[in-house]
Amino acid sequence: MEQEKAIIIENLTKLYGKHVGVRNLNLTVNKGEIMGFLGPNGAGKTTTIRSSLALISKTAGKITIFGMDSHRDSVEIRKKMGYLPGDFGLISSVKVRSYIKYLLSLSNYPSTKKMTSLAERLELDIDRKTNELSKGNKQKVGIVQALMADQDLIIMDEPTAGLDPLMQQEFYRILREEQKQGKTIFMASHNLAEVEKVCDRVAIIREGHLEVVEKIQSLQEKTGKVLEVEFSDAISVDEFQIRGVSEIQEDDGKLTLTIHENLDDVIEAVSRHRILNMNLRTYSLEQLFLKYYTEENRKRGVA
Amino acid sequence: MIGRITYMELRTGLKWLLIFGLLVTIVSISMPMIYPTFRDSLTEELEGANKVDLELPSEDGGMIVLSWEPLENATSYMVLEDNRSSMVTAKIKYLGVETSISFEKDFEEKRYYAVTAEVAETSDPVLIGIASTEEGEDPFQDLLKNPAYSGLTGGRSISMLEAKGFIALEFFSWWWMLAGLFIAYLSVSFIASDFENKRMDVMFSTPISRRRYLLEKFTAMSIIALFIILVAIGGLAGGLGNINALHEFSAETVFLSLIGCLPFLMVISAVGMLTAVLFQKVRVGMGVTFAFVFAEFFLYTFGNFSKSLEWMKAISIFNYWDYSSVIFDNIFKTENFIALTVLAIVLVIIGIWVFEKKDIPT
Repeated sequence: MEQEKAIIIENLTKLYGKHVGVRNLNLTVNKGEIMGFLGPNGAGKTTTIRSSLALISKTAGKITIFGMDSHRDSVEIRKKMGYLPGDFGLISSVKVRSYIKYLLSLSNYPSTKKMTSLAERLELDIDRKTNELSKGNKQKVGIVQALMADQDLIIMDEPTAGLDPLMQQEFYRILREEQKQGKTIFMASHNLAEVEKVCDRVAIIREGHLEVVEKIQSLQEKTGKVLEVEFSDAISVDEFQIRGVSEIQEDDGKLTLTIHENLDDVIEAVSRHRILNMNLRTYSLEQLFLKYYTEENRKRGVA
Repeated sequence: MIGRITYMELRTGLKWLLIFGLLVTIVSISMPMIYPTFRDSLTEELEGANKVDLELPSEDGGMIVLSWEPLENATSYMVLEDNRSSMVTAKIKYLGVETSISFEKDFEEKRYYAVTAEVAETSDPVLIGIASTEEGEDPFQDLLKNPAYSGLTGGRSISMLEAKGFIALEFFSWWWMLAGLFIAYLSVSFIASDFENKRMDVMFSTPISRRRYLLEKFTAMSIIALFIILVAIGGLAGGLGNINALHEFSAETVFLSLIGCLPFLMVISAVGMLTAVLFQKVRVGMGVTFAFVFAEFFLYTFGNFSKSLEWMKAISIFNYWDYSSVIFDNIFKTENFIALTVLAIVLVIIGIWVFEKKDIPT
């Protein structure tokens, strides 16, 4: 149903001369969801986002946002949309407060209540001058301005770049609260762990092509988690031959395996031995591509 | 269109505007105040020109007699001949100790003779005076008819001994450059720096159209242009009042001659904005806009050199800011004011059209 969709991207192609930004990209963002847009640097995430905002023209294709055409109705769309660019500058030598108020006035949003509360939560001192801000604080200004006008759709390009881990956690909490209020969030990232933490679905893009759109849960099942354990006593690889576990390797008392399901069974097996050290981690995006998508492609007979 | 962007623009540009306003105030007040001193010393110098006397022959083929007052301490005299009063292509006519020479009139057009004296104690020759074959002509006046000068005064022969002439040559001949380049600089940098400093993405995530953005910036630039013109009007009128010259050069003339500059500056501003959205770089935009201003200036001066080059004048914006008509003939050409305003509007529309087509770079 059309009204359930926040963003519909159909066959989007953007060429920069001979260089391909994105090619034939199809993507839908549902209303009320947090959608991750995952891909390595240069994959076409920013191109897709900036096309949606009509900051750049399209070579071909159609983008519909809240039922309106991205380029023809851009100004109307932007009344309902907040945006955090991946790279942006501030007007220099003014107080953050006056810069942000200026942006609020451009959005015809008179209340500063949300802006003040966001700044407080992110520990941003808005009485400082814009040219005195660190990279992290500048990023906070970007986050605040994207969310402060209480827009229905928020598009963010690498929102946590430059934020320290504590601030990242606070930011994720803010995003979930926004979602509870019915907001739609479309967020580009190159960090799989981040996307897993906050997103409902994820679209993965590489070299201008959309590789896959998945629910986070099914992505996790497919990719699994990597467990590394160091033991002080001898172990046998056979002990860990559990359903849902793959790539079991043992090297001088150090065990590495990939868990897709049955995490508790694995933990039980591990606990039978004396553990020196243990680490459970998410696949990095690069590993994900290497492992999962090249296999997918092979199966499809592409690569 | 006045709005929040206009306001922000004026606010961020305020520091520069005040510095520039101060500069304009100082120059426009002090320029008329230099005038009395300049006039007195020039009058003194021109009196010296009378020390050379030229007698034309009564009939064809007769002799010209050139005589001059002897100078004390002079060891020798030199006479230079040229067909221009500026003496830039002069040949030596005579070198010797006589104070009078006669020679045949073997030419049709006019000639100028400058007499200098070699003085023992000094190495530089002393100018005794300039005489012309044209009867009743003041060679210094002829110097001002030189195309290089008339280019600045709309082909008029003007006297630097009058306040009008002095102000037209000494104030207006550089005012365009000062004001024009300041406006060019501001209008390019106000937009191109938004590209360079990556402020466009955030700007255009708010519901502001590119048209409104440019119109508001243009309004800000027009307000700035009006401000510096008003400062100059105040300064110039104040300076003229201070030397009691307002009867010669009235406050109304000051106002009309300078206000005609407003659409002129708006055109420069529109060109600046157009180059800024086209090239999206401060340096490139600035280079192109400055080149435009100078090209227009040279078109205008070349257009004044000769009749066959008059078309050049017609395509120069300098032709449509005719301050000399106001100053010398008391005519304010409303049609020129309108023509420049229309041109500025057309350029802004082109700027909007270009901007709406262009991608905003990351």
